[in-house]
Amino acid sequence: MLEVINVTKRFGGLVALRNVSLKIDRGEKIAIIGPNGSGKTTLLNVISGVYKPESGRVLLTGEDITYTPPYERAKMGIARAFQIPKPFSNLTVRENAAIGALFGPLYGKISVREALEIADHMLKLVGLYDKRDELAGKLTVPELKLLELARALSSKPKILLLDEIVAGMPPSMVDQLMLLLKRISDEENIAIATLIEHVMRAVVRFAERVAVLHQGTKILEGKTEEVLRNPILEEIYLGKKWSV
Amino acid sequence: MAVTIRHLAIILVAYLIILSLRVITEVVGPIGPITAQLLTLIAFYVALGQAFNIFLGMTGYVDFGYVAFMALGMYGMATGIHRAMDAGFPGYIGLTLGLFQAIVFSIILALVVGGIALRLRGAYFAIATISVNEGLRYLIEGLDIWEGSRGLPLSGPLISVFGHEGFSILATVISDLGVFMVALLALIITYVFLGSRIGYALRAIREDEDTARIMGVDTTRYKIIAFSTSGVLGGLIGAMWSFKAATIYPPDAFNILYTVEAIVIVMLGGAGTLLGPLVSGTIYASSKYFLAGILPGFQLLIFAPLVLAIIILAPEGIVGALRYYIPPTRRFIA
Amino acid sequence: MAESLLFFLPYYLVSGLLIGIVYGLATIGLSLIFGVLRIVNVGHGSFIMIGMYVTYWLFVLVALNPFISLIPALIVGLLLGIIMFYGILRFLVKAPELSTLVATFSIGIMLEELAKIMWGTEYRGFIYSLGSLTLQGIPLPLIRVWPGIVSLLLVVALYLILYKTRFGTAIRAVMQDPEGASICGINVTFVYASTVALGIALTTISGSLLAIYFQQGINPYIGHLYTLRAFVIAVLGGLGSPIGALIGGIIFGIIEQSSVPLFSILGAPNPFGLSVFLAFSLILVILLFRPKGLFGR
Repeated sequence: MLEVINVTKRFGGLVALRNVSLKIDRGEKIAIIGPNGSGKTTLLNVISGVYKPESGRVLLTGEDITYTPPYERAKMGIARAFQIPKPFSNLTVRENAAIGALFGPLYGKISVREALEIADHMLKLVGLYDKRDELAGKLTVPELKLLELARALSSKPKILLLDEIVAGMPPSMVDQLMLLLKRISDEENIAIATLIEHVMRAVVRFAERVAVLHQGTKILEGKTEEVLRNPILEEIYLGKKWSV
Repeated sequence: MAVTIRHLAIILVAYLIILSLRVITEVVGPIGPITAQLLTLIAFYVALGQAFNIFLGMTGYVDFGYVAFMALGMYGMATGIHRAMDAGFPGYIGLTLGLFQAIVFSIILALVVGGIALRLRGAYFAIATISVNEGLRYLIEGLDIWEGSRGLPLSGPLISVFGHEGFSILATVISDLGVFMVALLALIITYVFLGSRIGYALRAIREDEDTARIMGVDTTRYKIIAFSTSGVLGGLIGAMWSFKAATIYPPDAFNILYTVEAIVIVMLGGAGTLLGPLVSGTIYASSKYFLAGILPGFQLLIFAPLVLAIIILAPEGIVGALRYYIPPTRRFIA
Repeated sequence: MAESLLFFLPYYLVSGLLIGIVYGLATIGLSLIFGVLRIVNVGHGSFIMIGMYVTYWLFVLVALNPFISLIPALIVGLLLGIIMFYGILRFLVKAPELSTLVATFSIGIMLEELAKIMWGTEYRGFIYSLGSLTLQGIPLPLIRVWPGIVSLLLVVALYLILYKTRFGTAIRAVMQDPEGASICGINVTFVYASTVALGIALTTISGSLLAIYFQQGINPYIGHLYTLRAFVIAVLGGLGSPIGALIGGIIFGIIEQSSVPLFSILGAPNPFGLSVFLAFSLILVILLFRPKGLFGR
């Protein structure tokens, strides 16, 4: 459904992505891992439209969206939750989520009431339903992350992009969240691609497939168990000197 | 912040009270300190606040040239009357034409300035709008349109078309009623916006325009909708208020004082709230009315620092603060 | 008739250049403050008005040579800038755009109203002449030449400050990246305060020079006209770029000077008024096609 084909992205002299290709199908759960600076966030930005690649293409259900602006991609079904949540502080939790529904792919097709219903559904899924009438500005940081998630989900996307959603979380929360994501992906048939730097626990509990980035190239891809057992991982994270 | 019919109903009751008082003072005379003039002023400032709130309040963008809409409304109405008079048409044709022109002029201004400047960030929009004032005023004077700096007479033509009786009614009751209707219209539009997709879009823009864009909100389109609506309402206020002016001069019509007052009223009451303009419009009108005798000519000097204080200390305004600090009030005021 | 316009083009170019440099100086403060603090001083014109009154009163009351009155104008500007920052703007650095715009707008209004109460609304003027040159047979008064030269010197001085002193480098650093600058040990708040003081001072000085140039029509509300002009120039040159302000000023000066006779030839009843409208239209055109202006970021 989503295809990244031979994408290269440069920033001046720095090559952030070099000939990276990736395919994500409907409903897939994929983790993109790699050490700091390997290009994971850049890849996410190219998929969501914040960056335009120097070469290569991005296709969504066959359509070339390489140069489509981000807000149009939102309408096409690419949703994104940010690492640092950006809620609309003076709107309620419910209203925040509803905006995702109102202006995403369902734009023009649903009423405000229907959008609020979708928002409620997603809030229940992530566990924020009780706080739906609170002003978003009053939530704690973990709750805000859940709100980001709910807001992105409310747009009923084809694919959800998550950037380091579990960084800094205690292990029990990580498990809960990843299982939740798995459940959401199954129930709503949404592909979820999440960036993980080092919380492998999250990868194991969630991903069917894993792609490994290192210094801008995809060096490995495959089923979770196979990839995680590959010794090359230790090398790229710890350096050759330290691998067993 | 779900805005319900209850919120609207409470405000409508207040409007009804003001309207009734105005009618009573017209028929019976002043009731204690409440005079017809005071209520006229209240109607005007509530209308101004309600209309301006649709843009400033709901998007967080400031139109420093807002008075231009009112000026165009005044000129639209005045030239409409003139045209009817010159062509020998009856008065109400002139009024209709005047209203129509007021609306059209306002839309044109909104689309030209908004279409250009609303695609950009708030700072550029501020620059564009603060220039509108001088720009339009000097256009009128420069090309000597509508009698330029000589001033466009209005009371004369009104008297010749409607007679002295008719003119007197126009300049008092009809004018006030008209302004009041605009306030009502603005209130209802605000209510409809708040509960609709437009309201969600505008509030998202006000909170965080960049994130709103990323989430798929066509920010330019919604800003233009709010701007045009607010502008046309401003034009209508100008049109209705014009009956009270004997002659329309560019410096008076484009007097920046009205813009300052509009900002004060919206910020004092609570930007983006439904009830705010009513509360602050009433407070402002009353202060102005009762202080007029004491400190003439000092108004701007008092209100400019007031705006400053509100911006720094209480940006959410009276209604906003009430809703924030005393949550139970949220059931009744929005 | 059009031939006469073309024939005198060199005259208009020169006079446009001379006033344009002064306009440029009048805009540099605006650009500088925006570049460093990201605040648009919507009340900009009021500070020009203050500068004008400083020169006027010192000339009328103590017969002070207007060029010397630049120094008191400088001091007044510095003081106003410091008060404005520490009294008001300091609290709004993190506030939404709306707040700073309305705040600077209110400050501008307050200055106008104070001026109105203290000095009335009559148009004031003075006469100060230094003789004139002749260009193409038309006299060019020297009091219209010197302001341009002085402005140029001040712009050069500003350039030297910005690029050759530690202080100036700190300003440029904060312009680029306040957080980065702060990490390098630069006291960002102090830079903010100094920039505002410097920017306002340049603005009041330009007001003095404009008073020398025009010598008539000084009143509390004259600021609005100059706010409009400053904004055209700032947008044309690029908000936040001092060099853009200068170049934009020159371009605008030439356009404005040439437009008045042009409109006159075309039969407009009030060529001056039309030239103001032209300025406003220019803003819209620039915003439509190239909001960044010439050197904007």
